[in-house]
Amino acid sequence: MVEIDKRVLLSVTAVVVGGALLTLLYTSFTDSLVYFHTPTEIWEKSTDFKGRKVRIGGMVQAGSLVRKAGTLEVNFTLTDGKGEVMTHYTGVLPDLFREGQGAVVEGVWRGGSPYFDATTVLAKHSEDYVPVSMSQEGLERARRSILKSVQ
Amino acid sequence: MTAVWIEVGHFAALTALVLALLQTGAGIRGGVAERPVWLRVAKQAALMVAVLLTVANLSLVISFLQHDFSVRYVAMHASLRLPVFYLATALWGGHEGSLLFWVWLLSLFSAVATWRHWTTHPRSLPWLLAILGAILVGFLLLVLFLSSPFERLFPAPADGRDLNPMLQDPGMVFHPPFLYLGYVGFSIPYAFAMAALIHGRSGAEWVLAMRRWTLFAWAMLSTGIVFGAYWAYYVLGWGGYWAWDPVENASFMPWLTATAFLHSVMVQERRGMFRTWNLFLIITTFALSLLGTFLVRSGVLSSVHAFANDPGRGVFILAFMAVVLLFSFGVLILRADLLKSDAARLDSLVCKESAFLFNNLFFVVAALTVLLGTLYPLAMETLAGAKVSVGAPYFNKVFVPIMLGMLALMGVGLVIPWRRGSGRLLLRELAPFLPPALLAPLLAWFGGVRHPYGLIGIGLVVFVFATHARDFYRGVRTRRRQEGVSLLSALGRLIARNRRRYGGVITHLGILLMVVGFIGSGLLHQERDLVLRPGDVTDIGPWRLTFETLRPVARDNWQADEAVVRAVKGEVTRVLLPQKRLYHGSPQPMAEAAIYATWREDLYVVLGDAVGEGGRAFRIYLNPLVRWIWWGAGVMALGVGVALTQGRRLPRRKEPVGEG
Repeated sequence: MVEIDKRVLLSVTAVVVGGALLTLLYTSFTDSLVYFHTPTEIWEKSTDFKGRKVRIGGMVQAGSLVRKAGTLEVNFTLTDGKGEVMTHYTGVLPDLFREGQGAVVEGVWRGGSPYFDATTVLAKHSEDYVPVSMSQEGLERARRSILKSVQ
Repeated sequence: MTAVWIEVGHFAALTALVLALLQTGAGIRGGVAERPVWLRVAKQAALMVAVLLTVANLSLVISFLQHDFSVRYVAMHASLRLPVFYLATALWGGHEGSLLFWVWLLSLFSAVATWRHWTTHPRSLPWLLAILGAILVGFLLLVLFLSSPFERLFPAPADGRDLNPMLQDPGMVFHPPFLYLGYVGFSIPYAFAMAALIHGRSGAEWVLAMRRWTLFAWAMLSTGIVFGAYWAYYVLGWGGYWAWDPVENASFMPWLTATAFLHSVMVQERRGMFRTWNLFLIITTFALSLLGTFLVRSGVLSSVHAFANDPGRGVFILAFMAVVLLFSFGVLILRADLLKSDAARLDSLVCKESAFLFNNLFFVVAALTVLLGTLYPLAMETLAGAKVSVGAPYFNKVFVPIMLGMLALMGVGLVIPWRRGSGRLLLRELAPFLPPALLAPLLAWFGGVRHPYGLIGIGLVVFVFATHARDFYRGVRTRRRQEGVSLLSALGRLIARNRRRYGGVITHLGILLMVVGFIGSGLLHQERDLVLRPGDVTDIGPWRLTFETLRPVARDNWQADEAVVRAVKGEVTRVLLPQKRLYHGSPQPMAEAAIYATWREDLYVVLGDAVGEGGRAFRIYLNPLVRWIWWGAGVMALGVGVALTQGRRLPRRKEPVGEG
C-alpha cells in the first residue's frame, strides 16, 4: 500500500467532518431564525412576512382579553401604543400573563386578519421575574426605535 | 446596633480590593524578580483577601437574618415572613449579592490554591497569585462601585419586597452556588495556564494541577446545570428540563469546552501532544465562564433570568472581557512556541489520539453552536436594531447529530488503543458489539419508535454500554485470575488501582443513562392542554385521570387553589395535587406542578386558570424516562468522585525542571 502521510489524511478527515458539522450548524441556523416585531412593524411589512414564522411583542391591552367560556380559547389584543394585533390562542396561558403587561406571541403570519393565530404565548419578564409594565415612556421609546428603523 | 454589620462588611470589601491590588503587584514583582519576599507578600495578601471577603459575605447574611431593611439589597430580596433558610441563602438571590458571593468563592479558591501549591509549584505561583489577584480586582471593582450590595436605604422600609417566589425552592437555592463553584473553579486552571505561558516552562506538574482543578470545577458546573434542569422541571411547571434559554446556554458553553479539555489533556499527559490546544481550551473555558456570569448578571439577556439593566455595568463588563481576552490570547500567541510539543507524531490514523481529536472537534462545534445561538440575537439587536430569536428547534437540529457522533466516539474511543491501531483491529474489537447494537433499534422499531434519530440513538446507547461493560468485565476477569478474589472485591480493586480511568468510565455510564432519558423524554413525550370540570375524566397514555375537586390551601407565605386529581393505571392509583399559588407580596400566581414519577415515566399535571362555567385549565404531560436523567447525574457524580480521589502520580520535586 502506498504510504500516505497520516497527518495529512487525518487533517483531511477532520476538515471534512468539521465542515459537515459547520454546514449543519449554518443551515439549521438560517432555517430557525425568527424575527421579532412590534405590532406596528408587522403591519408595515405584512406582505413580506406572509407565510413566515414571526414573533410579535407588545402589551396586552387592558380589557381586551376574552375567553370563550369553558374552553381554552382566548382572544386578546397586543399593542405597542400605535399598531395592534388581535391574537387568538388556544392553550394554557403562562402564569405571568396578564392584561396590561408585556407578552410575546409566536406563530405564522398569515396577514393577521381577522386574528393572528399564536402557537406560543410568552409572558415578558424583567428584573426578578416581574412582568414588564409597558409604561408610557416605554411605549414612546418603542415608537421612536420603530421610526428610526424605518428611516 | 443592627445596622453596623453591613458597614463592617462594606469596609472589609474595600480593604480586600486594596489587598487584591497588592496581591497582583507583589505577584508580578515576585515573578519577574524571582524574589521570595514578594511572593510571601502576595501570599499573605491572598489569605487576607479571603478572610476579608468572608467577613463581607457574612455581614450581608447577618443583615438578612436581622431583617435589616436599611440595606437596599436586603429590602429587595427578603421580607419579615420569609423563612430563615431562604433568608440566609437570599445572599445569592439577586445579582449584587451573587457577584459578591462569586468574588468570595474566587478569594477562597485562590487562598486554597496558594496553600496547596505553595511547595509544589514555585515557578507558577507568583503568576498564579498575580492573575487571580487581577481577576479579584476586576470583580471587586464591579461589586463595590457598579453593583453594590452594601447600598443603604434611608429611611429604611418597614418590610422588604420578599424573595421572588420562584426562587423559594431548595433546588433553586443550590443551583447558583454550584454553578459559581464551577465558573470560579475554572479561574485556577486558567491562572495555571497563563502562568505556564508566562514563565515558559512546560513541565508536567502544572498540567496535573490544571487537570485536577478543571475536573473539580467541571464536576461543580455539571451539578449546577443538573440542579438547574431539575429546578426548571419541578418548579417552573412547563413540563421540561431544558429550554435552550440563554442563561442555560451560558452555563453549558464552558461545560462543553471543559469536557473537551478533560479529554484532550489525556493526550498531552500520555503523548505530549495538543499542548497549545489545551491551553486554548482552558482559556476559552474561563472566558466563557466570565461570559456566562456577565450574561446572567448584567441583564443583557431578555430571559427569565435576566436582571437589572444598567449601562455603566455593561460597559465595564465589556471592557473587562476585552482585557481578559486580549491578554490571554495575546500571551498565548506570543508564547505558545515555548511549549512546542516534543516532536510527537501521530503513528496511525486509527488510534486513541485521533478519537480524542474528533471528540474535541465535536465538543468545540457544539460550543460554537451554542455561542452562535446565544450571541447572534444580542449582536443583531445591538448592531442592526433587529430583534431575532433562534429557538429550541435550531439547537435540537444541530445538537442531536452532534450528540450521536459523540456517543459513537465514546464507544470507539474506549476500545481502540493508543498510538497504533488499524482499521482491521478496530473492526475485530467492535465485531461482538454490532449484533446487539443493530438488534436494539429493530426491537425499538417494533415497539413503536419510528424517529430515525431515536433508533440510531438506541443502537448507539446499546453499543456504548456494551463496550463499557466489556471493559469492566475484562478488567475484573484478569484481577480474579491473578488474585483469586471474589467478583465484587475484584471490581473494587480494579477501580481503586486506576481511579482516574475507571472514574471516567463510570462517568460515561452516567452520561449514557442521561442520554436514555433524553431520548425517552425528547421523542416519546405526550402533552395535552384541556379544560376539566370537577368530575371530568381524561386519558393520557395508559393513565386515566379524574378531576375530583378544587380546594383552597394555605401555608407560611402563600395561599393556593389545589386540585385533587386521581390518576389510575391498572392497579396503581395515585392522588395528584397540583396547585396554583399566590405568594404574599406578589401579584403573580405561580403554578406548582404535581408529579408522579416512576422509572418508566413521569405523570406531570399543571393547574391553569379558571375558564368559567366551573372549569379549570389543565396541562398534562406524560414524560417517559425522565428519572434516568437524574440517576445518570448521580452516577456521573460518583464517577467524578472516584476520579478525583486519585492522588498525584508524579513524584514531588523541590525544583520542577522544565523541559523547554
